[in-house]
Amino acid sequence: MCDVATVQKIAHCLGVNPGKVQLNEEQVVTRISGQKKSSVAGFATILESLAQESKSETAQNSKASREVEAQVYQWIEFSVLYVAPGSKDKHVSKQLLADFNKLFASKSYLVGHFITLADLAVYYAIYDLVKSLSPVDKEAYLNLSRWFDHLQNRPDIHQGEPLLNFTTIYLHGWATGTHI
Amino acid sequence: MIIYTNEGNPLGLQLLMLVKHAKRQVQVQLVNLNDPKYKDLLVLPTLQLDNGLSLFSPAAIAKYLLVDEGKQRDEWLEWSATLLAPALAHHMAVGHKADANALPVLNALVKKLDDSLQSSPFLAGDKLTAADIAVWSLLAPEGTLKGAQNVDRLRDWYGRIKVLPEVQEVLAEQPLKDLSFNALQQSNRYGGLYHIPLKRLSVADAGKLLVDTTPTVADTVTDDEIKAAQAAFTYTAPKEIKEERTVLPKAGQRNVLITSALPYVNNVPHLGNIIGCVLSADIFARYSRSAGYNTLLICGTDEYGTATENKALAEKLTPREICDKYFELHNGIYRWFGIGFDYFGRTTTQEQTDIVQEAFKDVLKAGYIITESVEQLLCQKCDRFLADRFVEGTCPHPGCGYEDARGDQCDKCGKLVNATELIRPRCKVCNSAPVLRSSDQLFIDLPKAEPYLKDWVDKSEGGWTHNAKVITRAWLKEGLKPRCITRDLKWGIPVPHPGFEKKVFYVWFDAPFGYVSMTKRYTKEYQQWWQPVKGTDVELFQFMAKDNVPFHSVVWPSVLLAINKGHTLVSHIMATEYLNYEDGKFSKSRGIGVFGNDAQETGIPADVWRFYLASARPEGQDSSFSWNDLAARNNSELLNNLGNFVNRALVFCEKNFNSTVPEVVATQDDLILLALVNRELRGYINSLEKAKLRDGIRHLLAISRHGNGYMQTQQPWVLLKGSADQKTRAATIIGLCANIACLLANLLFPYMPATARTLFGQLNAKQTPLNADKPLATLLLPAGHKIGKPAPLFAKLEQSFIDELKSKYGGDQVAAVQSPGNAAELEKAVQDQADKVRQLKASTKDKAVWQPEVNKLLDLKKQLEEAKKATPAASATPAPASSNGKQSVQDLEKAIQEQGDKVRKLKGSTKDKAVWQPEVNVLLELKKQLEAAQKAAKAAPAAVPAPTPAPAATSSVDPTQVKALEDKIAQQGEKVRTLKAAGNADVWKPEVATLLALKNELAALTGAPAAGGQNKGKKKK
Repeated sequence: MCDVATVQKIAHCLGVNPGKVQLNEEQVVTRISGQKKSSVAGFATILESLAQESKSETAQNSKASREVEAQVYQWIEFSVLYVAPGSKDKHVSKQLLADFNKLFASKSYLVGHFITLADLAVYYAIYDLVKSLSPVDKEAYLNLSRWFDHLQNRPDIHQGEPLLNFTTIYLHGWATGTHI
Repeated sequence: MIIYTNEGNPLGLQLLMLVKHAKRQVQVQLVNLNDPKYKDLLVLPTLQLDNGLSLFSPAAIAKYLLVDEGKQRDEWLEWSATLLAPALAHHMAVGHKADANALPVLNALVKKLDDSLQSSPFLAGDKLTAADIAVWSLLAPEGTLKGAQNVDRLRDWYGRIKVLPEVQEVLAEQPLKDLSFNALQQSNRYGGLYHIPLKRLSVADAGKLLVDTTPTVADTVTDDEIKAAQAAFTYTAPKEIKEERTVLPKAGQRNVLITSALPYVNNVPHLGNIIGCVLSADIFARYSRSAGYNTLLICGTDEYGTATENKALAEKLTPREICDKYFELHNGIYRWFGIGFDYFGRTTTQEQTDIVQEAFKDVLKAGYIITESVEQLLCQKCDRFLADRFVEGTCPHPGCGYEDARGDQCDKCGKLVNATELIRPRCKVCNSAPVLRSSDQLFIDLPKAEPYLKDWVDKSEGGWTHNAKVITRAWLKEGLKPRCITRDLKWGIPVPHPGFEKKVFYVWFDAPFGYVSMTKRYTKEYQQWWQPVKGTDVELFQFMAKDNVPFHSVVWPSVLLAINKGHTLVSHIMATEYLNYEDGKFSKSRGIGVFGNDAQETGIPADVWRFYLASARPEGQDSSFSWNDLAARNNSELLNNLGNFVNRALVFCEKNFNSTVPEVVATQDDLILLALVNRELRGYINSLEKAKLRDGIRHLLAISRHGNGYMQTQQPWVLLKGSADQKTRAATIIGLCANIACLLANLLFPYMPATARTLFGQLNAKQTPLNADKPLATLLLPAGHKIGKPAPLFAKLEQSFIDELKSKYGGDQVAAVQSPGNAAELEKAVQDQADKVRQLKASTKDKAVWQPEVNKLLDLKKQLEEAKKATPAASATPAPASSNGKQSVQDLEKAIQEQGDKVRKLKGSTKDKAVWQPEVNVLLELKKQLEAAQKAAKAAPAAVPAPTPAPAATSSVDPTQVKALEDKIAQQGEKVRTLKAAGNADVWKPEVATLLALKNELAALTGAPAAGGQNKGKKKK
């Protein structure tokens, strides 16, 4: 979730050295990096600092304009406030799945039409929840599943983890083909 | 720009201040997220910019509207949104969401603010930034800082910001007093911010900076409530609750007929079944009786059908004998649970046959019966028609496709299925594919009854539970179809129709009439209940789990409407959701879960079970049975809350007032308590009138909680040692508490009848009727009333005991993991734990986080060590027995017999595999040894007259050992030869050494020189 491991994964995606990542005394994730050992606290603020240092496509996308930057930030904050903690709550997680499914009905990425840090943050925050879905559930959240599957197939994102299965072909003899 | 927000949302203030700070103009629009117009809004407040961009994160908005003010500002912005706001939401929450842990967390956060203002006048340096605004706007509503101590810098900062003209301007538009953190609940569809766990900070306790501002409930009591409480609290001799021999409905009175879904006779009921129908019905019936309504509670076992026939075949009994056997089982279980049926009957009675056949003739006469030829599934292997429940296959409903759908209903989509429509059907017994055969069957024409049914549902569904309405509506929406009411079986009620004599009625037509026939067994006047005369109203409450709803809301009412003879139709369908067992399903076959008879074996009193099940009743949604929850509720609610209050009140009365209830001279404090009690009493009555049993318990416990709080603040034990005035005051307090204890006994009675009776005994009082029209506490025990001997009502459930039960009923899995001595599994556990610890240590410095995990690891390592020690020891013990030839065989046989007895005894005394498995292993090991020893003994005679006898030594030589060594030597020799052939000397040399050592050992044992030496000797001769 929005913790040390996620920051490290995203740093890896962006091709940036994460430096030392840990929880501070407030249990907030903190990054200490660079020669001056400067420290940054807070998941969203850390992700911004990573984007500053990265030359990757995702990082460049995330800084495309002030509008994009603001939207990327709000989704990162959303993943901290709602997605990560809400995934563990039966009711909140259902609403989250429905909301994201609705969002992705009309777009391929959260912000703009390119991959940004917003997608990464939500992807890692919602990973466990999506993993827990049954094939029928995944089919019910078709748009979300499509977005998720698209992201997980990028090697910089799955980082060697086994891919989640979105195939529904074995479910019904009469449903011919997959939805992805 | 427009800010969309909801009323009272403090984050709306934040946005307004930020926008003003950025010197922009903005309109505020209050919206409701439930309004379909705003379905695209995710979180409130949302700011819609003039360029069409919508943003809902105040931090993102601040960053967008304002220039970059540095990393420090950004950190504070995130801090205020992700730490401060959730902590405030938790702290300000009311009711069941209130969180006592929020205050210490908030203290630490406030301390951090105060500390950081030490080095600079504003949070992010010398100038006011968005960070200050974000934090300020969160602290301002509800006066978080009011009365706070030792935060002077923070107060100073707060004051400086408040006087700023731009802030004043905003506050004129949005007064602080209108804001509340509870408004966040309506700010998104996630129920606010309560899903965010409070972070337990590892910094030292910040002390008490903020005052605990939670208003006490006492502040909310109005004068009217006090007056009402005072007026009602008088003594009137209680009416006796009269119990008539036969309860019959009476005109002009409230008549309540209660049924509980008929349990199928072959199934041993589990806790879910019990709370789903019989227990719920009983609690409601007990309430209804004590509220003075004419109440009849009817239930019984449903006994006809194929399942019984099969069971009978399997147990080599007749169906009748099977039913007799299982009926007693049900009856015993319900009796143990204290279910007070007025009549607990069965469907296999003459009354049932008469009533069902009569009803059929009526339905036939009314023209609702159709004859159709039906294709039925015939299993050729089992040579019989398959009843719906004996076919499984793939669900035919589009979009479902569940592979294990039953022949009557799909467990996955819940829709009804015709067995013949299943895709790839299979016989549940033999798994082979059945074939279709046709035969004539009778159908009830539900479509013909549909209009009447719809009218009736529109009128009646007001009193049904939500799920019952939804399920019924779904059925009606899909349209009714004719339903088959006959079956080709023997065990059932014969169909009284020409050509159908060999068929019986199907459960849908048969079982519901069981309610009527059982009432007939109870009284000849059963028609007064089921076909009441005009002017007498009977309310029918039917309790069931949700899977039974269609039979009670659609099928049976249709039949009764078709008959059209003024039958009592259900007015209240009380359907529960499902109860899970520790987040899984109950499963008899896997031994998971607590079944009716198990509950008895646990030694936990039936009343505690009743209380727990009622408080975990799956009312609005599925709920789970959990052992820890059971223990927690028993210990915290029954023992520490209810039991504690009642016992304290009575013991004070006994010890200080000679067991005589003192006079109550009520002061303001006492009247406030009474007013609060009256509130809960009203809640209790309202809940139980609607059979909301779970809420009823909540109100009941709230009363004793008020009582405990009252005693704690009044401290009668102090007053008793004081002046005469103080002693009179103490008398009032004790008198009042004793009276509340008596009220509690009355309220407790429906849930825990045995406990309530004990309590009435201790109070020396009788049960008094509840006044549902005027739910106010009265003086039940007048001054001078002598009470009995108080004693504790409840016992503590220890964690160790609960853990034991948990593993006992948790299925095999749990038991296996806990079994000691399983070194391999332990090793794996140690490894996993070590990985976890490494990860934790890497991610945080906080010792508090990883220390417990480290402790767990050390513990596991210790266990592993012990297990390793134990394993060789166990197999070593019997070893000495084998050191001596023939005797060892006898010894072994004896040891095996002893061990066998031990195992049998253990198995008899406990089901716990973990206990007896190690002993069984020892037994098996012994048997193996015996086998080896016997073989060796047989081989020995051949081995003894070997060509190289050593006469002196033979007598004491153990032939088994010799044989074993010889075998070993042969093996080792073979190994050496192979190795030597391969060449490498480094490899074979040590093996040769081993060989020589073995040979020497043999020589020492037999007294004969080793093979090599022997040859040399011969040559010398």
